[in-house]
Amino acid sequence: MSWVAAAPAVRSPGEPGDVFDEEADEVLLARREWRSHMRRRVQEGYRDGVDAGKAAALQQGFNQGFKEGAGVVLNYGLLRGTLSALLSWCHLHGDNSTLISAIYDLLNALGQCEEYVLTHLKSVTPQPQVGDLLDSFEDMGLCHAVPAEEKVDQAQDERLCGTNADLNKNCGKSTPGTDGPQAHAHLEKPSITWILEQTTNLVKQLGVSADVLQHLRQL
Amino acid sequence: MAGSQDMFDAIVMADERFHGEGFQEGYEEGSSLGILEGRQYGTEHGARIASEIGCYQGFALAWKCLLHSSAGEKDSRKMKVVEALIGMIEKFPYDDPTYDKLHEDLDKIRGKFKQVCSSFSLGNARVEPERSP
Repeated sequence: MSWVAAAPAVRSPGEPGDVFDEEADEVLLARREWRSHMRRRVQEGYRDGVDAGKAAALQQGFNQGFKEGAGVVLNYGLLRGTLSALLSWCHLHGDNSTLISAIYDLLNALGQCEEYVLTHLKSVTPQPQVGDLLDSFEDMGLCHAVPAEEKVDQAQDERLCGTNADLNKNCGKSTPGTDGPQAHAHLEKPSITWILEQTTNLVKQLGVSADVLQHLRQL
Repeated sequence: MAGSQDMFDAIVMADERFHGEGFQEGYEEGSSLGILEGRQYGTEHGARIASEIGCYQGFALAWKCLLHSSAGEKDSRKMKVVEALIGMIEKFPYDDPTYDKLHEDLDKIRGKFKQVCSSFSLGNARVEPERSP
C-alpha cells in the first residue's frame, strides 16, 4: 500500500473527507472578507476624494462667479445711481412731485429687475448634457466613442455665462430660475431696457441735457 | 521571513490602490460640486459689490454732467468732490476677487460718497447704494 504513505500530510485534524471542505470554506470566507474590505476602501477613498476635490475647486468657482456676477450687475447699479442723481436734482430744485414719484417707481422696478437677474444667475444648475449622456452610454458599451468636439457643452456654457440681452429679456418673468436663455420672454414686468427708455423720457421732461445718460450707452 | 514581508507589502499596496481609485473618482465629482457651489457664493458677492460701486459711479457721473450745465461758484467745490469719487472708482478693480485691498478701497469709496452727499446737502434725498432685498 505504497500510495497511503505517498499521500500528502495534512495540517488540520479531523476526518480525511472533511479537511478539504474546511479549507475551502476558510478560503471562501477570507475571500469574501477581503472583497468587502476593499469595497469599503474604495468608498472611503471616494468620500475623501469628493472632499478634496470640492475644497480645491471652491475658490476657483468663487472667482468665476464673482467676475460674472459683477459684470452683469454693474449696469443695474449705474442706472440706479443715475436715477438717484436725478431724484436728488429734483429735490434740490423743488421739482414737481409727479416726476419725483415717477423716479421712485423706476427705482422700485429696477430693484426688482436686479433681484430677478441675480436669482437667475445663481440658480443655474447643470442639467444632463448630451456629452454626459454619451459618456454614460459609452461606459455601458451601448455606443462607440464620440469625437471630443461633439461633447462641448455649449448650451451649458450659454446658460452659465448668459448674455446681458438674454437676461434683460427674461427679467421680470414670474417663474425665475428654470428657464434657459433660449426661453421666449413674456414680459409681465419692466425690463432694464424699458426702465432706461422711461429714464430718457424723464430727462427730457426735466429739461436736463441728455448727456446725463451718456455713461449708460453700453446698456 | 522575506516572503511574509512581501505579502504584507502586497496587501498594503492593494489597500492603497483601491482607496486611490475611489479617491480619483470622488475628486472629479467633488471638483464639479466645488465649482458650482463656489460660483453661487461668488456671484452673490461680486454682484453685491458691483451694484454698490455702480450706483456711486452712476450717481457721480450723472452729477458731473448736471453740474456742468448749471454754472456756479459753489459748484466748483462740488465738482472737485464728484471728480475725486469718479477717479477713485475708475481705479477700483470691482470684479477682481483676488484684489487684496478690495474691502479697504471699498470703504474709502463709501467715505468719499458720503462726502459728496454732504457737500450736496443730500440728507433727505433717497440714495440707496445697495439694492432693496
